[in-house]
Amino acid sequence: MYSSEEKTVIYEAAVSGNNNRAGLAAIRKGGGLRVLSKEEDDRTAAFLSMLEKKGIFLVTFLSDDYPESLKYASDPPLVLYGMGKRELLQRRKFCIVGSRITPPWAEKVGKRLSEEISEHFTVVTGLAEGGDAAAIAGALPRGNLISVLPCGIDGCYPAAHAALKERIAKEGLLLSEYPLGTGTAKFSFHARNRILAGLSEGVLVLSAGVKSGALITAGKALDYGRDVFALPYNVGISQGEGCNGLIKAGAYLVTSSADIFTVYGIEPHRTEEAATEGDESRILKYLREQGETHVAALAEALGMRIFEASAALSALEIKGLATKTGGNKYSALS
Amino acid sequence: MIAKIICYALSGLEGIPVEVEADVNKGVPSYDMVGLPDTAVKESRERVRSALKNSGLLFPMNRITINFAPADLKKEGAAFDLAIAISLLKASEQLLGAEVKDIVFLGELALTGDIRPINGLLPILISAKSHGFTKFIIPEGNAEEARYLGGAEIYPAASLGDVVRHLVGMQPILPLETRMFVPGQHKKSTADLKYVKGQPIARRALEIAVAGGHNMLMSGPPGTGKTMLARCLPTVMPDLTFDEALEITKIHSVAGVLGEEGIVTERPFRTPHHTATTVSMCGGGNKIVHPGEISLAHGGVLFLDELPEYKRSTLEALRQPLEDGCITVSRAGGTFTYPARFMLCASMNPCPCGNYGSADRICTCTPAEIRRYRRKVSGPLLDRIDLQVEVDNITYDDLTSEEVNEDSSAVQKRVNEARQIQRVRFEGTPIHTNAEMGEKEIQEFCHLTREGDKILRDAFERMKLSARARARIIKVARTIADLDASEDILPKHVFEAVSYRLYDKI
Repeated sequence: MYSSEEKTVIYEAAVSGNNNRAGLAAIRKGGGLRVLSKEEDDRTAAFLSMLEKKGIFLVTFLSDDYPESLKYASDPPLVLYGMGKRELLQRRKFCIVGSRITPPWAEKVGKRLSEEISEHFTVVTGLAEGGDAAAIAGALPRGNLISVLPCGIDGCYPAAHAALKERIAKEGLLLSEYPLGTGTAKFSFHARNRILAGLSEGVLVLSAGVKSGALITAGKALDYGRDVFALPYNVGISQGEGCNGLIKAGAYLVTSSADIFTVYGIEPHRTEEAATEGDESRILKYLREQGETHVAALAEALGMRIFEASAALSALEIKGLATKTGGNKYSALS
Repeated sequence: MIAKIICYALSGLEGIPVEVEADVNKGVPSYDMVGLPDTAVKESRERVRSALKNSGLLFPMNRITINFAPADLKKEGAAFDLAIAISLLKASEQLLGAEVKDIVFLGELALTGDIRPINGLLPILISAKSHGFTKFIIPEGNAEEARYLGGAEIYPAASLGDVVRHLVGMQPILPLETRMFVPGQHKKSTADLKYVKGQPIARRALEIAVAGGHNMLMSGPPGTGKTMLARCLPTVMPDLTFDEALEITKIHSVAGVLGEEGIVTERPFRTPHHTATTVSMCGGGNKIVHPGEISLAHGGVLFLDELPEYKRSTLEALRQPLEDGCITVSRAGGTFTYPARFMLCASMNPCPCGNYGSADRICTCTPAEIRRYRRKVSGPLLDRIDLQVEVDNITYDDLTSEEVNEDSSAVQKRVNEARQIQRVRFEGTPIHTNAEMGEKEIQEFCHLTREGDKILRDAFERMKLSARARARIIKVARTIADLDASEDILPKHVFEAVSYRLYDKI
């Protein structure tokens, strides 16, 4: 299953434990491969069968399906631990990230974008709350999702997402460069972000404060020559300052998935808009003209009873045309 | 000579007849009490002795034995004082010619001979009446409470002397006149929806909740009027019927929280503080089990402000009474069942800082903090709350629609109409309101139009709702349709019901 060169890589990177930096660097350059001794070969075989029992596979730097784009990242991982659908590695990949504190509306927009992007790309993201969770929620139903962990593949950070992690391992793909049992450290998030950027053709930032990890991913993407996209924010919202900063610096401004698809020459996503009639159409038109509006103000302006308005808004919400933005306010989604 | 006097002991909300027997014999003066009296009953000896002396009567200096029958029931409290005194008088032949058979004597004695009011008089009277007793001598201080019980001769007495004069026919006490029950007669609450500024969505949710007997949860930043709205709940609930009022009064009487007016005429509104213990919430006590807050809220509203601040065990204890409408508490002194059919209204902030989901203020909580905060309220409890509504901090000065200025009585009128529909629907079943429907009733009474059914399916597909959430949405939609006087549940009713689910969607 693994060629002898691959076994050497696995031995050097994961089994030996002697952290031979010079040797590893040589492998990245395409050399430094030697034949394993009998004892080394046995240890590697035992290690591989242990992983197999746990349903974990290894992708090495020399594997056929090692993502080409990742090789151009800085310090590309020599082995990647994976669980789930290995074939996703070969698809076109697009990264969606966001900080853990993401406003509810941005989560909803992010989820929808992720859902549409997952039609053409495998969505790459982390496993955190907020932006990552929105990207996962959008792409997981289609199973077109890679989630890269900042810890060993048998760990889970945050622990609250353990069940979500299980689902991704079944329906999507989990990746990690760390040996089993490795916990998280401050640097491991940064290191993970280089893989996110390295795997993907572009990065969409859903939310980022001034010092957000999402900005590091975007920075890496720029280093590797990938496209950077960002969601625009109102002035004065701290969770969006990083996004607006990226746009100022030249990132693509994204309000719909079409903004991303045109960059890659893909036919923009067309949803046949769910049919609306009567009150629903009137409300949707009003929301599109006025922006975010409180239910009571909307009902007053359109001369409706308030509970009629909230019923119609709830219908629009189910149809995916409007969203509740908090405090009984609604806005149109497109 | 032996005298037998009837008195009553209380077990939960049930009165149990107790015969007080006094035997006065010749011999060395002594005073024995048998038949499981507790300390308060034993101490009655001194009260009775002084009361007799200070009423100008004689305490017999003989060998006295007092027996309480049935002997296996623990006798607690001071309500036996009057019966003991009368039995002594009768046994020592100081009440010649007086007829004491079939009269129930109730009351605690003061040393001066005055009769003090007792707790739990009304439930005793109701039980005794059902046991066939029709004549009662009760403390004057309990007269208001007893006035509403028709079909019995009730004599309120101020002192032991009065009782003796009444019994020997020197100065009869006039029996109490029965008073008609008028709902809302002794209104204490001044809450009214007309004082609530704005909040049209919460108002509507309140109306639906009351109309269908649903529990509700209000979520919103501090200072947006959640408590004020909750206080209006009893004012839009249907007026108390006499039977309901009697049942509530019984509980309040046993707990000793009955006001001077003697009967509860408006629906209770209980707001236990979030430091409340499980025992204070559900009822309990060392020997006698006192009704807890959920029983005191019977027929009314239990309002839990800042729901996540309550102890988790306390909240979990509410689940079973919310299903059964009663609570059974077991203690060393016995097992007692108190009614607890209340409407639960809770309020909470969306997150520890209160700004999560707010459109104009930024929430500073981390996701882990929000999760921890929400997790304090368990899923199973949230499952029993059909309506969840957001209360916002918008000013409504420029809004003129009638819905934001209505008063409680207008809402109550619509609620009564919706309840009437439900009364007809559930005729002959133990169910009173839509909220109590089970799966069988949902299938039977909640007809969806074909279009409505399709929309509902789509909605559940898209929102990924559980089967339980589906049942709750249908129940709320049924109530909304009732308020609309519609036989079928139309799509708009379903959509509106969906909009009252906050924490399924997040």
